[in-house]
Amino acid sequence: MAACADGGGDVMAESNLMQGNERMAVLDERARKAEAFLLREARLLDDERWDDWLAILSPDIHYWMPGIENRRREDRLGTYSEKHMAYFDDRLRDIERRVARFRQPSAWAENPPTRNVHLISNIEVFEGECSGELLVYSCFMNLRSRGLDEQHQLVGRRVDVLRWEDGRLRLLRRKVLIPNAMLLCKNINTFL
Amino acid sequence: MTKERIPLRPIDTTPPLRNLDRICDMESGRLSGKVFWDDEIYQQELEKIFARCWLFVAHESQLPNAGDYLTTSMGEDEVLVVRQKDRSIRVMLNACPHRGNKVCFSEAGNARGFICNYHGWSFGADGGRLMGMHESKCYEESGFDKSQHGLRQARVDSYKGLVFATFSDEAPSLEEYLGPMTWYLDVVLDMDGEGSEFFGGCIRSTIECNWKVAAENFVGDILHGGWTHDSAARAMLGSAVANVSDMPESYSVNWNGHGYEFGTDVVGNAATLGEKNINKYLHTIRPRVAEHLGEFRSKLIGAISSATIFPNFSYLPGQNTVRIWQPRGPHKIELYTWTIVNKSAPEEIKDMWRKGCMMTFSPTGVFEMDDGENWEYCTKTSRGLVTRYQDLYVGLGMHTRIDDSELPGNVFRGQINECNSRAFYQRWKDLLEAPTWADVPDRNGRMR
Ligand code: FES
Ligand SMILES: [Fe+2]
Repeated sequence: MAACADGGGDVMAESNLMQGNERMAVLDERARKAEAFLLREARLLDDERWDDWLAILSPDIHYWMPGIENRRREDRLGTYSEKHMAYFDDRLRDIERRVARFRQPSAWAENPPTRNVHLISNIEVFEGECSGELLVYSCFMNLRSRGLDEQHQLVGRRVDVLRWEDGRLRLLRRKVLIPNAMLLCKNINTFL
Repeated sequence: MTKERIPLRPIDTTPPLRNLDRICDMESGRLSGKVFWDDEIYQQELEKIFARCWLFVAHESQLPNAGDYLTTSMGEDEVLVVRQKDRSIRVMLNACPHRGNKVCFSEAGNARGFICNYHGWSFGADGGRLMGMHESKCYEESGFDKSQHGLRQARVDSYKGLVFATFSDEAPSLEEYLGPMTWYLDVVLDMDGEGSEFFGGCIRSTIECNWKVAAENFVGDILHGGWTHDSAARAMLGSAVANVSDMPESYSVNWNGHGYEFGTDVVGNAATLGEKNINKYLHTIRPRVAEHLGEFRSKLIGAISSATIFPNFSYLPGQNTVRIWQPRGPHKIELYTWTIVNKSAPEEIKDMWRKGCMMTFSPTGVFEMDDGENWEYCTKTSRGLVTRYQDLYVGLGMHTRIDDSELPGNVFRGQINECNSRAFYQRWKDLLEAPTWADVPDRNGRMR
């Protein structure tokens, strides 16, 4: 349980849960709060409210979106791993740097802005590994448009760990999995 | 196995396009957007550049064991790259000689051989010979000769871990093809005599731009760095990129369309990763590099610099990103990126590079985001017929050649200089105009 004290724990461990060894479902008020947390987060991202978004991240956050590999079923390396290159493998410092770029007047490719919609669905809430934590599954669809005719769509699954910090929910860990082994667009200029 | 094979059908050659001078005149540094747009030109590129040049296919470290394979493409031709029992590496078409189905669908793995999904033709790891198939007795009854069929093989050679292949029998040797660029490649491939490796696998993305726009950006366009990447530099370093033109000593070098522009500031590129320990690492190994490669090259290991090996293989020392711009029609590329590190580097330093590479030069990288946007619109504006004929200026740095430089290659003063771009497009045009390799003119020593 030492891992719990610093909010560490093993992100990979949650993949066991994805294989059906499910933990206790949370069906009380906390589930509603977790859901509200994710929906609000999507709105903050769509509205580029960066400060408000940063404020819901735990200082211990690990925000991870591994690259996906197109390997055979019998290949033990699987479709992704911690060692593989990742779209995001971020701590708070890294996320703040990304946000800092979005905010520069010289972020030429963000002006006129990219217009985002984050749709969140398939939310399931479970007891977390440690007390004060919730394990939350969700799916997202992100649609970005730029200029007149650019439209890019990303769809994926997320595994989040939310933690109560000073009475508020914070995002402690996020794993984002997309089905694509090659991005069909030039970049991911948003958070998922 | 030694029986004579029926010779492979030669690739049809089409007559070179005429009037290329009007859209690509590197003597005066003039180009036109037509070269990014026309499908006719693109088809010529597939034939006269991608089917003839040496193309990067793998780093040896990706295939440590016999039977290890990966799939990639050479131009639009899909290929399998396979490590053999005798340690050699073979490159072959990833297309079945029965009806042409793709043979291997995974991006990498280990296999003793490959079996086609359609009618079960099977090939050993060397791919060269058909081993058997579904309902084989029916073939035998019709006097079928298995030894005549296999996956078409490419010529393969490597330089310090980088594996290249070509489907041209006429192409010069890889050594001749790379020429003196190997001296500069050593700066990333062979810093300390222990070699380099790819670390963390491949990330792929799609950019709607012409492949040349990207390749040219890396061959010699540091000019855009301070402007395009201002936002990323401020985010990562907390301040603007230093004016590259203020740096005391910098060069552009090219050879046969390859190019490398570089400063001598040791860690300028590396610093953009925002990891002090990476800079510290480079400073720590620098004396060893100086012993191995000499004082001059030890100043380039993470310096502000970029390079392209013609036609579509590029890298950035310091950020350690290595990439290939796979052409997918005139208006689209698939970008495959890897991280390269010194084999001898501590594991945590390698990991920092893996992350830093993604943070800066990847589809989520704060630098690459602004590149992709520029490249797409350099391509898309050429949709306009009038625009396609607008003169594009590629003349910066004319007459800056250093004739008596001791450095190898065609050496030019300053890295803010379009001499490498001119050499790149000149080589592009020379190849499109040359009916055979023997007709490709030698421009070394004569480019401006
Ligand atoms: S296409 Fe491969 S076996 Fe028929
Ligand atoms: Fe750039």
